[in-house]
Amino acid sequence: MIKLYDYELSANCYKQRLILSLLDVPYESVPVDFFPGLEHKSDEFKKINPLGHIPVIDDDGYVLWDAHAILVYLAAKYDPSGQWYPTGDPQLLGEAASWLLFAEGTTNTASAARLYVNLGYDFDIDVCRAGAHRLFRVLDEHLWFREREGLDWVCSGSHPTIADIAIFPDVVLSEEGGVSRLDYPALRRWTDRVKALPGFTIMPGVFPVGTS
Amino acid sequence: MSDPRSLWHPVATSIDLPQHHIFHGQLLGREVAVWRADDDFVNVWENRCLHRGVRLSIGTNDGNELTCRYHGWRYANRSAGCTYIPAHPADAPARTICNRTFPAVERYGLVWSGEDPVGEPPLVPMLDDGTPFTLRSLPVNASAEIVLAQLRDHRFQPVGALDGDHAAMAVTELGDFALALTATGANYHSTAVFFVQPVDSDRSVIRAVLTDTPADSEQIAVLRHHATRLGQLVALAETAATDQPAPEPMVATIDQVSLALSVMPERETNRSAPLRVQVARKWETAHDIMAFELVSTGNPLPTFQPGAHIDVHLPNGLVRQYSITNGPGDTACYRIGVKLEAESTGGSQALHDTVNEGDVLAISEPRNNFPLRRDALRTVFIAGGIGVTPMLAMTQALQPMGLAFELHYFAQAEEHLAFDEIRSTLGDYVTVHLGLSPGETSAELTRVLQGYDHANQAYICGPGPMLEAARTIAAEAGWPDQAVHFEYFKNTTEIDDSSSFEIALARSAVTLQVPSGTTILEVLRDHGVAMPSSCEQGACGTCVVPVIEGDIDHQDVHLKQTERDAGDQIMTCVSRATSDRLVLDI
Amino acid sequence: MTPTVATTCADPVILDQWHPLLPLDEMTADNVGHTILLGEQLSYQLDTDGAPVVWLAADADATALPVLVEYLYVWVCLGSPPEALFAIPEFAEPDRRNIHAGTIGVHVSAPRAIENFLDMGHFPYVHTDVLGAEPHTEVAEYDVHIDPDTNDVWATECVFYQPRAATTSTEGQMSDYLYRVPHPYCVILYKTTPLAAERMDVIALFCRPIAEDRIEAHMFLCLLDPDNSETVIRKFQQTIFGQDKPILENQYPKLLPLDPRAETPIRADKVAIAYRRWLSDLGVTYGVIPAA
Repeated sequence: MIKLYDYELSANCYKQRLILSLLDVPYESVPVDFFPGLEHKSDEFKKINPLGHIPVIDDDGYVLWDAHAILVYLAAKYDPSGQWYPTGDPQLLGEAASWLLFAEGTTNTASAARLYVNLGYDFDIDVCRAGAHRLFRVLDEHLWFREREGLDWVCSGSHPTIADIAIFPDVVLSEEGGVSRLDYPALRRWTDRVKALPGFTIMPGVFPVGTS
Repeated sequence: MSDPRSLWHPVATSIDLPQHHIFHGQLLGREVAVWRADDDFVNVWENRCLHRGVRLSIGTNDGNELTCRYHGWRYANRSAGCTYIPAHPADAPARTICNRTFPAVERYGLVWSGEDPVGEPPLVPMLDDGTPFTLRSLPVNASAEIVLAQLRDHRFQPVGALDGDHAAMAVTELGDFALALTATGANYHSTAVFFVQPVDSDRSVIRAVLTDTPADSEQIAVLRHHATRLGQLVALAETAATDQPAPEPMVATIDQVSLALSVMPERETNRSAPLRVQVARKWETAHDIMAFELVSTGNPLPTFQPGAHIDVHLPNGLVRQYSITNGPGDTACYRIGVKLEAESTGGSQALHDTVNEGDVLAISEPRNNFPLRRDALRTVFIAGGIGVTPMLAMTQALQPMGLAFELHYFAQAEEHLAFDEIRSTLGDYVTVHLGLSPGETSAELTRVLQGYDHANQAYICGPGPMLEAARTIAAEAGWPDQAVHFEYFKNTTEIDDSSSFEIALARSAVTLQVPSGTTILEVLRDHGVAMPSSCEQGACGTCVVPVIEGDIDHQDVHLKQTERDAGDQIMTCVSRATSDRLVLDI
Repeated sequence: MTPTVATTCADPVILDQWHPLLPLDEMTADNVGHTILLGEQLSYQLDTDGAPVVWLAADADATALPVLVEYLYVWVCLGSPPEALFAIPEFAEPDRRNIHAGTIGVHVSAPRAIENFLDMGHFPYVHTDVLGAEPHTEVAEYDVHIDPDTNDVWATECVFYQPRAATTSTEGQMSDYLYRVPHPYCVILYKTTPLAAERMDVIALFCRPIAEDRIEAHMFLCLLDPDNSETVIRKFQQTIFGQDKPILENQYPKLLPLDPRAETPIRADKVAIAYRRWLSDLGVTYGVIPAA
């Protein structure tokens, strides 16, 4: 079974829990005392990932780290329909790659702001927040036009991709870092759509979408 | 310039409100939660649950009610009145718990609202005369004043000549927060109306509408053209804003809750009928049962909870109680069912014969003495005849919550079954029992009530003999008293008012005499004590008063046996004392 | 909706309290650390004897502030400190495990965080399937009193339905709780444990006010659980508080209003009402909107 070296409050680990749940792939979560224990910086953990960060997966001996790389691997391997990582469609694949890079940006801004507030990381908070707003503005306009064209997801296909999953946690947790989504109504609607996907799972800070 | 608080402003676009979404907006420093109900009504509410101040925009919208994320308080479409407080499932919430609402009108693809707007949202003739086409709204980190100044120099290309760059621009001022721009070039011209929504002293949203809808094939290009041009304007406005000192943020005052809400709910004061409703529709829903749809003639109708009834004050001076059948969120009217009673003393007869569509009736505010718990693992509803009416409201409340229930509907024959249109939505949850004798009814009740389990609740409404049978059968089947809830049509007990005794009002240190032939309720009112009441025959439970000391002669049918045995409350309209003295906690 | 927030504290009641700065084991002798308390920049370091020293960063003389080491944390006072901190006798019991479960920053006032900690009604909605589950939403009547000797606020006889109260059980049960507020910004929960019938686990929230509307909350545990690893225990506690955080950050106003007419209480809020009155009686003005 896949082992996920995991920290409950990490947005990047949540990306992996989310894709595994959406793909209905069983896995074992190995909790890492990321905080306050700093276990990921321990010599023991650096034997698993010399970079000393999480998430890391161990799929039957195959070890991989970096949140977005793991998404690529999991979707490519465990989604037989080939929709989450659309290797069969060069244009969609290009879009997915482009938005995965965008997700690096949201991680380094919106999610960095969250680490500053939640766990006291030493970042320039004003730079993080301004960067997050710049990216959210672009994404909101992009998604608004997608809706206008009858499309629901960041890439132009009719099915969500790992790009949605890579961006979603950084967006949906942004208010914990002091980045309001008040100005991004299309972004808020898109988070509702992600939450309505079959197999969607929550984490602390993410509310389920509910009809009751 | 007018006070911006007295003006209508756009707060959202219509497409911002898809089904079951809650839009998060802000106007003049005040946050709003905006949501569309399944009946298409658009709600603009202060974005704050008045229990603990949590934003309602993080809650859920089920199409009928908005539920707060923190404690699950439910608020009704239109009225924003609280219909359920899960922490106290046996209580009916004071219906005055109401979130702050703001008016809402959809016009030109925008949702208009305001703090305290005067009149109607602005009519813009050039939009009314055209085929309005709503563009994408853009947030700006700059004051409305700065944005409006930038808009006066704004440039875009007319539809048909989007690729050019030298359209002639003409500005038309449209009041404090709006202007129109007409672009003319290459024999084409387009007019866009720009409304600037003042979000805060340093933030705005530009909401724009073209007067004419482009051909389908051109729409995306037009939208992109304006998004690009407005994006450039936003950059200019934000640069201009950073050159100025940051203004003081707008502070939206939060209303205090009423004194009554800051403590436990206060008691009502009399048998009043403050509401005026008009009969919008009257129809025969079953043999001898007339249904009435009542709409307000003034303010929106107050929130009701499932199980609630209203007092209807009839033209002939009689007062009768009828349960509201509406489901959650269905708040634009009250629907009641009136059975023509064979031995009618004039109440049901008057409603059947003399009250017609268009007539105005005086009614009380809804009152709930038959509250529905929503923490049961299984709920059994047993209705006899017209007793189905409160059950219709209750089942419609449980169904969308996914809580298990069954409705057993006893009636003489098929043609006596009322409100088909509601029952049909309940599908297999309803079992109809027709034409049973009293013995057969008891046998059926025994079957229905077998197998009591933890967290089961039963609600029973129907004729007196059926209720008495159900009471006995439920007790024998192991149902605890507090899990079985009854609503009587009327109290058929022969009231014995021959006793005389003394009542002491503990809080006001007053002692009063209750002579034979007079009720406690009458004595209290005669001495200026404001008392609520409704049926005044010991059935509905409205006139209850806590008792501190003394022996009670219960003659009502509202209290359960355990409540009677506890001896700490009395229905003042019929019940009396067996001791010489009662001490009442009022 | 931007509230006006003081940057430094002028409230003598709060200035004279011990405040939990950070866990002792996060201080070193090698480096000077920096943090904020009540709007003041503080510096800290262990001295050569391993004792914590804390001073105002702006103080050229680095005059040591009063400090106390208690319950795994370094406590500091910016005014005239009381002699001792409130007592948690369980801390010294030999079979207990005392665990610092983490510190999480929240953009809310300390009293809002304390009041949320005292609240059972949100369990089914915020801690779904862990501390509560619909439709078991009822908050039964409980008792509230102020201890005449210590002036602590207590809520007793609290029970609430908990689904899967232990990892081994599949069915829910009624869990018993006791709540205690011994300090304006600290709260302690005592909870029944399946491991010892007569004893209770101790779960505390110690808030360090950074500003009037901003805290770092230290989660302190004193448990009878001998089996679960610290990692697992911390994960559970951080999950729970991580669920509370977005609720707290969506409360407005961020300062706790003490005027009874500001919000709408129900019977389930009895202890919250008592806590608000108690803050009023103490004369606390920092982190609250005092009653008019």
